[in-house]
Formats: sequence, C-alpha cells, structure tokens
Amino acid sequence: MFKSDFYMKKYYLDCGYIKNHKRRAKKKHARNLIHKAWKRRANALLSGKSRDQQHNSPRVSKKAEAILRGYKLIQAPDNLSFINNPNEVADFIWQLKQAFDQHQKVFVVLDAVMQIDYGAIVVLLSVMVRFKSFGIEFNGNFPKNYVSRKLLMQSGFFDNLYKEFSVEDSYQIKEDKYEGICTHAQKKVDSVLSSQIISEACQTIWHENRRCQGVQRALIELMQNTNNHASIGKTGDKHWWLSVYHDKKNKSVTFSFVDFGVGIFENLSNKQERSKFYNWKEKIKDKLFYGDNSGLLRLILDGSLHRTVTENDFRGKGLPGVAGVMKRNQISDLHIISNDAYADVGGDRYIKLTKSFNGTFVYWKLGETNESTK
Amino acid sequence: MKVQNKMKLVLRDDYSATPGARYEVEGDDSGEVFRIKCLYPKIREAISSNSLLVVDLDGTAGYGTSFLEEAFGGLIRNDRVTYEQLKNHLSIISEEEDYLVDDIESYLLDAAKSAAK
Repeated sequence: MFKSDFYMKKYYLDCGYIKNHKRRAKKKHARNLIHKAWKRRANALLSGKSRDQQHNSPRVSKKAEAILRGYKLIQAPDNLSFINNPNEVADFIWQLKQAFDQHQKVFVVLDAVMQIDYGAIVVLLSVMVRFKSFGIEFNGNFPKNYVSRKLLMQSGFFDNLYKEFSVEDSYQIKEDKYEGICTHAQKKVDSVLSSQIISEACQTIWHENRRCQGVQRALIELMQNTNNHASIGKTGDKHWWLSVYHDKKNKSVTFSFVDFGVGIFENLSNKQERSKFYNWKEKIKDKLFYGDNSGLLRLILDGSLHRTVTENDFRGKGLPGVAGVMKRNQISDLHIISNDAYADVGGDRYIKLTKSFNGTFVYWKLGETNESTK
Repeated sequence: MKVQNKMKLVLRDDYSATPGARYEVEGDDSGEVFRIKCLYPKIREAISSNSLLVVDLDGTAGYGTSFLEEAFGGLIRNDRVTYEQLKNHLSIISEEEDYLVDDIESYLLDAAKSAAK
C-alpha cells in the first residue's frame, strides 16, 4: 500500500468526512428528486401524459392533444389564399379574432391546407404574434401538402411558434434578407426600412441596386394610413405588418401588407365634423352611385369620391396613391381587401365579400417589367 | 416680378435620401421637420433677398404624398407664406418623377384656398 492510499483511507474513515459526505449526498438526492418531479410535470404538460403513459400508449396526434388541453380548434380553409379565396380566409381570420378577444387559446388546424399564399402567411404570422404577445397560447400543425408546408416553413412561422413574444412597437420575423419570406411590423412610418426592403428586392429582380419610387410611395402611404386611420380617434395605435417574398427563379418580389384596424369603410363612417369627409354620403347622394362597399372602393381608388366630396382636384393621397403607382406601371397585380370589399385593381374586378375583414390588406408584385431608377 | 439670383435646395443632400411621414411623431425624416428646418428658412431667405429657390426632388428613395403636402402646403398653412410669394420665389425640379411638380402645385392651391376661407 502506498503512503498516500493509507492517508486517503484514513481520511475516508474520518468522522468529519463521513458526516460531510452524508450531508452532501442527502442534498444531492433531494435535488434529484426535485428535478425528477419537475421533469414529470414538464412531460405531462407537454403531452398531457406522463412519460410512462406516453410509452405505453399509441401516438396521439397534436390535434387530439390540443383538444385534451382545452385549445379551441380553428380549421384553416383548404385554399388559404386571401386573394383567391377571400371569403373563407376572412371567415378564418374572424374566428381567430373572436378567440383573441375572448382570450381563448387556439390551435390552428393547417393539415388540410392545399394552397397557401404570402398574403395569408403575413396574416398568420401577425395573428400568432398578437396571441403570444398577449400571453394567449397559440399552436398549430403542419400542412400535409408539401408546397404549402415549405412556404410556411420559409416564413419562419414554425420557428416562432414556440418563442416568447412581448407587446412591442416593432417586430421582425426571419431576418434572412434574400431567402424566402421576411416579415416586419411597426406602428410608425419607417421610410428607411422600406427603402432597404426595396434595395433587397432590386437585388433579387435586377441583381443591382435600384430605386423604385413607386413602391416606396405605396409603402409610405400604407404605413401612414395605418398610423393615422387604423383606430378611430387615435394615431399610432395599431401595427402594420409587411411580408416580402423574394422569388429568385421568376425574378419577382411579392409585397403583402396588412393592418387589423377598423378598415376603410368603418373609418369613413366615423369621420368627425372637422374632416373633409364628414357627411360624405349626403354630399355624393345625387352625384355618384356606388351600390355596396366594393363600388365605393372603386370610387375611392379612382379619386371620384374625393373630387365630389371636397370639390377639389385630386392628387392621389393614401390608397388611391397606391392605385396611382400601379397605373404608372411601378407595381403590378395590385389587390386590396378592406371590410367587405375586395378589389383586383389591375383586373378591374370589385366584389362584395360575404364575410367582413376587420382591417386592410394590400398585395402587389414587383417584377422586371416594372419601372425603376438606376 | 423678376428675381435677382438662384438658390438651390437638394432634398437628398440637404435633408434626407429617405423622406418619410407627414409629422415628426409619425416617423423619421418627416415633411414637418423638412419644412421647419430646411424649406421655410430657405424660402424666407429667398423672399427677403428677392431670389428664386430651386428645390430639387431627385435622387431620393421616393415620396409619400403626406410628406410633400406637409412640406409645401404647410408653408402657406403654418408659416403664412402666400401663394403669390411661392409662385415668385419657388421652383420645383423633379426629372425622375415629373408628376410631383403638378402634385405640389395642387397642394399649394388647396392650402391657399383653405387659408382664404
């Protein structure tokens, strides 16, 4: 036996050591028990079952788990495209809004989605962040359709599904500038951000830095509208959301802008006495016929409403300014949805929706054939 | 009235390459700040020295209508410059977006009409 072993043996048998060792072992055991209990609780919370139960039972779908855990299931339409299926998507958003207003946790059933577009993605992302920032649980499953699933994954939707969000003035989801979908949210007018977004879009389309004054105008008009008119009697109250999709293959960039304000027509109905548009219905009643809100949207976009109400020349402020940008070929494929009105501005198609959308949604494309400045 | 000499204000160089909102509270690089800090002092100087102020709008990322309305219409509405003074002492250049010149003219006329009421 070495001399050191002799001393160590003596040390292990020492009363002080044994007492100290027992105390530490007891503490460690207590810590282990606490950790085990925590792990058991965490597993139970995550799946609604303990680990043993999980091992001994067949796999349960996330959807079934959601029902067990008291989520409200909201089924997304098969065609989750705000442009091609506005009625069903407006209804889907309405259900989400109802749940949000009631602080009800939501599980969005996306597995049957066969088609999805960038417009619907910005809506989904913004809804998710709203739920999470207000501490309302929000969950969902993947579309089974490969293309839809890929698009949603590119958007950062699933990456952010388990993240914490707090109520903030601005958000940025997925920062990768030239790949897939990038989403921004703010309350203010941010002309520097819009200019950066346009520079990135130009790189995708023309592979060089250009300026697109039309797109910049469209973005500023929309941000300004959200800031000024999304809430009645308040400014800077609501977020605007912008998703930008870079399609490198087809050299085009898609812009989807949404706010969940009161919408164009609600705002128009609530104009105060000092506004130029106060009592507008009376002012146009013998001069313009519009039928429903879709007809009124046409009058707004072509400037007739402004000209008739104010009796002034009209130079395209706000949404008509965005329509003007399209007329100058600075953007293409402009679509606007607000309340129960739908406009495919390029196709001159104005439709009344059966379900009203609380807010304003604007979509357009920028491509090689659109105007730009080198 | 014949003006003596020319002064130049290049918005991109003298203010911002990314003009933004109408008011300062709504966002950076606003029309309100541009009017107060750049445009109004220059136009006042142009009027007092009987000069022509040439405002060059080219080279920026683009303009929102509210920015332009606040910057130019605001001269009449807030700074009490008359339409006639602006007609004699202000000239706008915009080669990249020629329609902006007409837009600004209409904002000035609107503001003059409202001021006259």
